[in-house]
Amino acid sequence: MLEQGALSGLKVVELTDRVSGQVAGSFCARLLGDAGADVVKVEPPEGDAYRRNGPYPAGAPDPDHSGLFLYLNSNKRGVRLDIESPEGRAAFSDLVSTADFLVLGQNSSEVERLGLRREKLAVADSGLIVTTITPFGLAGPNSVYLGDDLIAISAGGMAFATPGIPDRVGNLALEPPLRSNTHMAGYLAGVQGAMASLAALLSRTIQGTGCEIDLSMQEAVAAVMPFELAHASYHEAKPRKPEIFGVMPNAYLPCKDGYVVVMAVMEAHWRNLMDLADNPDWAELEVFSSGVERARNWDALEPLLLEWTMSHSGAEIAKLAQERGIPCFPAYTVGQMVDSSHVTERGFMVDMQGPGGEEFKLPGYPVRLERTPWQLFRPAPKLGEHTSEVLAEWLGYSAVQLSAVGVWAR
Amino acid sequence: MTSLPLEGIRIADFGQIIAVPYTAQMLAWLGAEVILIENEQRLTTRIWPPFAEAEPGVNRSGGFNTVNSSKMSCTLNLRDPEGVALAKQIIAVSDVVVENYSSGVMERMGLGYVDVRGLRPDIVYLSLGAFGRTGPMKDLVGFHSVINLFSGLASVTGHKGSHPRIMGGLFPDAFSGCYCVLALLEALYHRANTGEGQHIEVAMTETLATLLPEAVMEYTLDGTEPERVGNRHQGKAPHDVFRCQGEENWVAISVENDAQFQAMAHTAGSPGWADDPRFATVEARLDHQDELGCLVHRWTERMDVQEVVEKLQAVGVPAGPVLDSAQVLADPHMVARGFVQLPDHPEVGPRPLGAFSWAVDGRRPGTAGSAPLMGEHNRKVIQELLQVPEQEFERLVQSGAIS
Repeated sequence: MLEQGALSGLKVVELTDRVSGQVAGSFCARLLGDAGADVVKVEPPEGDAYRRNGPYPAGAPDPDHSGLFLYLNSNKRGVRLDIESPEGRAAFSDLVSTADFLVLGQNSSEVERLGLRREKLAVADSGLIVTTITPFGLAGPNSVYLGDDLIAISAGGMAFATPGIPDRVGNLALEPPLRSNTHMAGYLAGVQGAMASLAALLSRTIQGTGCEIDLSMQEAVAAVMPFELAHASYHEAKPRKPEIFGVMPNAYLPCKDGYVVVMAVMEAHWRNLMDLADNPDWAELEVFSSGVERARNWDALEPLLLEWTMSHSGAEIAKLAQERGIPCFPAYTVGQMVDSSHVTERGFMVDMQGPGGEEFKLPGYPVRLERTPWQLFRPAPKLGEHTSEVLAEWLGYSAVQLSAVGVWAR
Repeated sequence: MTSLPLEGIRIADFGQIIAVPYTAQMLAWLGAEVILIENEQRLTTRIWPPFAEAEPGVNRSGGFNTVNSSKMSCTLNLRDPEGVALAKQIIAVSDVVVENYSSGVMERMGLGYVDVRGLRPDIVYLSLGAFGRTGPMKDLVGFHSVINLFSGLASVTGHKGSHPRIMGGLFPDAFSGCYCVLALLEALYHRANTGEGQHIEVAMTETLATLLPEAVMEYTLDGTEPERVGNRHQGKAPHDVFRCQGEENWVAISVENDAQFQAMAHTAGSPGWADDPRFATVEARLDHQDELGCLVHRWTERMDVQEVVEKLQAVGVPAGPVLDSAQVLADPHMVARGFVQLPDHPEVGPRPLGAFSWAVDGRRPGTAGSAPLMGEHNRKVIQELLQVPEQEFERLVQSGAIS
């Protein structure tokens, strides 16, 4: 356990969906472990679904080295229990009864079927904090709906809002809404779940009792789009045409060797940008005299700016603009980001090793706390690696009790 | 009934634009008293659209009002030493400072962490930057689009064979804000246990890179760059959005296994799909996504979005509507759950916004209050909290230190 972590001494039990897995619940529990809590991941006999996800360091499937599993489950210990058997369920209940947090990631019907509502697990005035992350929440007319990342990104409003900046496309109305090829909704909900859990912990220090957190992935997506919602709230329904700040230029344009964002929404930025473009005559036109005017007349301005972007590379544009404080940047590949001197010097990526000594990296922790710094102090558990250890340490199970739990203890 | 966790905690909010203002707003919703220190010389969202009824005004901006609800506003001229002195007095009676000016700005004003720790030794001080406060790119400026482009997220977003795209919703700001709140709650818990404050540093580029573990892993193993795959998935098919009846109406459908596919085929009135060797297994469906997509599309395009969602969910197939932001705010499910709140505002009236994504024991924690008018709480903060006498207050207003 992390010696100086803020949550040292607190215990977390995590249980996520047996069939499809869930990034949100696993990431939420990992963040609590990152903050120093003792996190125990309870896996079914066949192991967490993301053990079968990859990518695999050696290429071939290997449940103890699946990349997504390694990422989501570092800083945790692993316990293998069949919670649908009486003995496994009893051990699970015992673990939960000694824990400060139970983090759940399933569909709401699965939470109900497994009897995982807080009222079933603990007395009302216990200190247990149950953080439940489900696609549509535990309550409300659609709570029984099934969902995954695509469904949450869509129903939370983000797919429709993409592309998130005026882009060189002919007709957005003909283009389908878009998701990113990541488990984005899972991470959004996971971070918010950890935030909700810590808020509940602070409430517990005031009032002494825990609570049940009902977090919806759909809402976790909608919650991170306050500006997008403001447009709907302050205008009538908005067409699928990104305006962002309602001022221009703020656009994603092709350049000589790729794509670049050109953003000059503040007047000082605009003047500096026009200096870079050698102050063409059109810069003085009344129709471009303010950010709002430039948004209104974007159809006229865009081709003029394109002349400039198409005569430079993305790197040149970024260098010229950033020297003058204008927020422009080219599209990076994942490799350009990972290999950048910035990411390297900040030491953001974490070095990992596969079973055959394969070297690779995973993203680290994006928050630097001076007094309670993050560290990767424990790699993700192998299946069942800590079953006996945790049941003995947390619950004082004897060898006889351990054997009663079944073949899963080792 | 749950107590709000941050009651009695005061925040000095030097947030700019979205990320840190949104962070401080969440802290206000959790019960903290947030003093937004505005610099009239450097207004951003207050003077940007959308405005109520499209009528500009510093108290009429939807962007501002949506990320600054439940706060107090105090307007200080931070280019005036007396304005800075007032800011220091506010910090001296605060528990937390949050800021996302460009690197070095707070330090130049004498409000950096080292200065502030002298005023309040147990302060928790959070600095967020697009690229963070260290490293060769620390002085680069960037908003959500730059963060999307640098982090590699854009490179995994886009239609097959097409260019990288920027995800919608300006979420890098608010997502970074969630990490900030998480870190601040952790630091406040640590302070409650040890009495120690601390400095927290967050880079928005890094918060976004936490979304990409598989892509980072594959690149660092053997140099493989990810392909853009539109809405498709490596292990599920169909997994896409499909057009429905009407203008710009879409439904998202995600089929994970054969049982779900068979249920969908029956519901679509085409049980034959499930027997077709092109679609019988996950592997086969992944190999024939174009053909399958056309068939699904021909079924959905004749129907209403809600009808498709209800029919598929009724047989256990994950499906959901593709909502736009107006539909999000009007969604009966999210409204019933309490996600959509309606804070009133003296100039623009009640306007809906999205609250926290969770309920605690069935209730939404905190309630969004009004966003402050510009300078609304100058007297309350400077006279009541800092105990500056009336005459001195008037002098500071006259001199422009209070703007």
